[in-house]
Amino acid sequence: MHFSPLPYLDPGSGSLIIQILIAVLLGLGVAFRASWGKIKGWFGIKPKADDDADDDAS
Amino acid sequence: MTTQMTTRANGQLSASFRDPSGFLFSRNGIIYRQINRAYAEDYARLMDSGLYEKLVKAGLLIPHVETGQAPAEGEAAFKVIQPERVPFISYPYEWSFSQLKDAALATLSIQKRALKLGMSLKDASAYNIQFLRGKAALIDTLSFETYKEGGPWTAYRQFCQHFLAPLALMSYRDARLSQLLRVFIDGVPLDLASLLLPFKTKLNFGLLTHIHIHAGSQKRFADKTVGPRKGMMNQHAMTGLIESLESTIKKLSWTPAGTEWGAYYEATNYSDLAFEHKKQLVREWTADKKPNLVWDLGGNMGVFSREAAASGAYTVSFDIDPAAVEQNYRIVKKEKEENLLPLVLDLTNPSPSIGWDHAERDSLGQRGPADMALALAVIHHLAISNNVPLPQLAQFFASRAKYLVIEFVPKIDSQVKRLLSSRRDIFPDYTREGFEAAFSERFEIRKAEPVQDSERMLYLMETR
Repeated sequence: MHFSPLPYLDPGSGSLIIQILIAVLLGLGVAFRASWGKIKGWFGIKPKADDDADDDAS
Repeated sequence: MTTQMTTRANGQLSASFRDPSGFLFSRNGIIYRQINRAYAEDYARLMDSGLYEKLVKAGLLIPHVETGQAPAEGEAAFKVIQPERVPFISYPYEWSFSQLKDAALATLSIQKRALKLGMSLKDASAYNIQFLRGKAALIDTLSFETYKEGGPWTAYRQFCQHFLAPLALMSYRDARLSQLLRVFIDGVPLDLASLLLPFKTKLNFGLLTHIHIHAGSQKRFADKTVGPRKGMMNQHAMTGLIESLESTIKKLSWTPAGTEWGAYYEATNYSDLAFEHKKQLVREWTADKKPNLVWDLGGNMGVFSREAAASGAYTVSFDIDPAAVEQNYRIVKKEKEENLLPLVLDLTNPSPSIGWDHAERDSLGQRGPADMALALAVIHHLAISNNVPLPQLAQFFASRAKYLVIEFVPKIDSQVKRLLSSRRDIFPDYTREGFEAAFSERFEIRKAEPVQDSERMLYLMETR
C-alpha cells in the first residue's frame, strides 16, 4: 500500500525501511518522555519551555 | 541572483527542472518562480497555515511577493511569485564546516516547524539552502507538502547524503572531504561515507543508525520495491527521527588546527603600519567606486573583505583554506554581519559548472562578473607557485570584475624569496614593470600606491 501521491524523489526502499525502524524505536522514547511529562504534571512539576517553537537554527 | 545564470529559451533557470511543482525563470534580470497548478493546494496550505510567516520571521525561508507577471509556461501555471534576491548563490562544496552544519540545522528546524502545522519538507537538498543576511535560509518555496499522518519523511535519504554524511566525514576525518560534494551532486553515497568513516563512529548511535546501518539497508533492499505500511510512523516516531538527526549533527564539531594559513596574520612579514595602510586604501577605494558586489579573491579570514563590506558592498570572501573560511564565518555569526559571505575556493581550480547538461550548478565565472575584485597578497602564489604567466592572470581578473584592487609583491619581498628559495627562478618578467605592462593590456591603471613600510604596491585598475 503506497501513499498517494507518490513523492517526486525516490526515497529508496532501504532508506524507507531503516527510517521506519529507527523512527519507531526513537518514537518509543518520545512517547515515554511525553507520558513522563504528564505524570510529573500530576505532581505539579511544569515541563520545560518548548524550545522547538522558535528555536534558532544559527 | 545578480547575473547571467544559465537559462533555457523561455528564461527557465537550468538548475530548476526536477520538481513538477514549478520552476524558476529569469525575465529582464529578475528571478521569478512559477508555481504550477499541481502545487496549488500545498502552496495555499503553506501560506494559510501561518507556516510561511513563521519561517520568514525566523529567517529560515526566503520571503516572496505574488506578482502579476505572465508565467513562463502558461498551461501548467497557477501563480508567479518573486522571491527576494539572493546576492550571491553559493554551493555546499564552497562552504566551511559550520556553514554546512548551520544549513543542516536550518533544514531540520524548518521540518520541525512544518510538522507542527501539518506539512513536511519533500526534499532536503543542500542546494536549496543559501546564506541570506548572514544566515542559512531555504530558498525553495515549493519544498513543502501536506504531511499525511503516519507517512515517512521522504527526504530522509537526501538529508543523510547532503548533510549528515559530509559533516561526519569532515568532523571525523578531514574538513577537505567537503569536496566530495563537488563530485557527487546528490550528496555523498552512504556506503562510501560508511567506508571512509573511522570505526569509532559505529559507537555513536546517530552515525551508527543514520549512516552505517542505513547504508547496509540500502544495499540489502537495493532491488526490492517496498510500500511502507500506513500508520507505521506515528507522530512520536517522526519527532524521534528528526530530533535524533538534530542531536547527531549538533554533536559534530570541527576545530581548525595545524593549517598553514590559520595563523597567517600573526606570521606576515609586514608591519602594523603597512597592514593599516592597506586597509585604509581598500576602504577609500571601495567608498569611492561604490561597488554592489565585491569578490575578495584570497580573503583569508576576511580582514580586507570587511573594509570593502563597510562601504555597503555585498562582499564574498573566498579562500583556499577551509580553516580561514571557518574562522571568517564564525566572525560573521558572532558580529551578525549581513553582507559578508566567506567561501572555500581554490583560485587555481575554481568551481566548475556541474550537473545535468553542465548547467545545474554554475561555475564561479558564470556567477560573475563582480563590480570589484580584491587580489591582495595573492599574485605571487598564482604567478610563482602556480606558474601562471602575468598576461593570463590579467585576463583572468579582467573577466571577473570591472574594478580590480591588486597588490604587487616583488621578488625582494621575503614571502616571494621563500617561494623561490627551493626552485629555479623562471620568472624574468615578474617585476613591477612587467606586471604593469601585462595588466595594462586589459586594464587602465587608475591608482598606484606604494604600501607604507613595505616593498609592495597597491593598484586600483579598471577593465578596458
